[in-house]
Amino acid sequence: MKKITLTNIVVGFILMLFMIYALQPILNLLALSLTHPDSVQELTGLDIFPKNLSLLNYKFILSNPSIVRGIFNSILYTALGVTLSVSFTVITAFVLTRKKLIGRKLFILLTIFVMVFEPGIVPEYLVMKDFHLLGSMWSIILYKMVNVYYLIIMMRFFEEIPESIEEAALIDGANPIQMLVKIFAPMSKSSIGTITLFYAVYRWNEYFRSGIYLSSQPGKWPLQVVLRQFVVLDDTQSMVGGFDAMSQVYGSVNFEALQAAAIIVGMVPILMLYPIILRNFTKGTFEGSSK
Amino acid sequence: MLNKKQLKYLREYGILYILILPVILFFIVYHILPIIGMKIAFEDYRIIGDNIFVGLKHFKYLFSSPSFKTIIVNTLTLSFMKMILIFPIPIMISFLINEVKNSKFRQVVQISLYIPHFLSWVIIAGVWISFLSPTYGAINNIINIFGGTDIDFMTSKSYIRWVLVASEMWRSAGWDSILYLAAILKIDKNLYEAAMLDGASKLQSAMYVTLPSIKSTIITVFILNLGFFMNAGFDQVFNFMNPSVLSVIDILDTYTYRIGLETGLYSVATATSVFKGVIGFVLILGANKLVKKSSGKGLW
Repeated sequence: MKKITLTNIVVGFILMLFMIYALQPILNLLALSLTHPDSVQELTGLDIFPKNLSLLNYKFILSNPSIVRGIFNSILYTALGVTLSVSFTVITAFVLTRKKLIGRKLFILLTIFVMVFEPGIVPEYLVMKDFHLLGSMWSIILYKMVNVYYLIIMMRFFEEIPESIEEAALIDGANPIQMLVKIFAPMSKSSIGTITLFYAVYRWNEYFRSGIYLSSQPGKWPLQVVLRQFVVLDDTQSMVGGFDAMSQVYGSVNFEALQAAAIIVGMVPILMLYPIILRNFTKGTFEGSSK
Repeated sequence: MLNKKQLKYLREYGILYILILPVILFFIVYHILPIIGMKIAFEDYRIIGDNIFVGLKHFKYLFSSPSFKTIIVNTLTLSFMKMILIFPIPIMISFLINEVKNSKFRQVVQISLYIPHFLSWVIIAGVWISFLSPTYGAINNIINIFGGTDIDFMTSKSYIRWVLVASEMWRSAGWDSILYLAAILKIDKNLYEAAMLDGASKLQSAMYVTLPSIKSTIITVFILNLGFFMNAGFDQVFNFMNPSVLSVIDILDTYTYRIGLETGLYSVATATSVFKGVIGFVLILGANKLVKKSSGKGLW
């Protein structure tokens, strides 16, 4: 009994407008990044298909040492950071849900206090300075190593695991570590998956602390900091050395198109994770109504 | 000497303390020490030797500085604009998505609207700089088609706040609708059938069935937003900021960053953080209390 009513048309039309609003700016950048530098003038802001298709901009971007180093650093920080974060968040959630643990309440109180009380950037910066962590990648890998919000998600999940399972394991002589590795972790694969995605997106997108703590060490900048320098602050100067040499090899260079290509490169990992993100985060809203 | 019971406890649970020792150290270094470090707001910072306690000196400096009034006005204006203009949009989107029966179209809509939420603010700023560019941006292309002249939105004092509202909406409106959509899907289908039998139109059943059913979700989200009112979106402002528009979008957090880490006035910057922290703390506690009152359970 499919029929097209006026409501359907209006709803569809408004949603189409929202979709264009969400996607057009990104598709235009994609088109710009895929347009040959010589043809950029022909492309308008409204286009979503490239003119004179070419991968030259990506060739430039991916042979620029700052960007390549940025990509490498971002992958390193994300891999290390996510591994540490997920392991310690799961361990802490497990420990804090052991009801008989002495000091449990105190620690939970501490985490909530930490969640609502933000000291601001200067005291945090000064602590990093005192510990001689400025300029070290550990300053940002350890930052938000355990995110209290994600810790609470994990704890809520562990709390729901029936106590009878725990008791049975204890009778079998399992120690707490065996219990975590053999019983709790396998039972909460989906929750662990969710916080892994949260941490991965956060790590990949992080630019602010990295920009401050690593400001004196451009060689250690993650991609987002390099992008900020190049695209947002429009600092083409610091990249020029590399680009100058390249433009002698490749002929013309167009900075707008290069910036577009850099932005797209910065999005790629997120877009790769996007299908998994959707499966995990959409709370069943995808399946929709059956009415 | 430990008695038998204590020994047994240690044997069973001792390992747990060792397991979370690194996390305790992490909390101390990254959270507790900075909180203690906030006392610098009441001190003069010295590179060598101990800091000198100066009481409220830096607060007095802050409150009497001409920038203070500006940043408060900017923070409140931005938060207020975003709240009024953006808050209803996700609710509207969730209503619209719920009306879509074709599951393919529905998924395409959802996939498209959620993407911007996962991009970093650096990338969002990059996208918007290009989108609004006076020479090659889509918006100015449209203005040109209608015979208008180019507007440099990013450096215009009169437009930049609207740019912040529009880009925040671009980023969050789609994704935020998910919460409402989940609430709508939980509504009992019989209610709609009853409404239909009573002759209610689509619009009427949206107004009198859907809206009241998700009222508690709407209230909770609204109150939580209030709790973060003093934030006004630091990451966004930080990336959309340029010298031409500093005076209209400089907010508490960007001011703290600038005078703290760029000018090096550690104490005044921390005093600003303390000021913001106290207000934020009260707002969040108040918000939590309100949520508890309206829905029965709070954030914690």
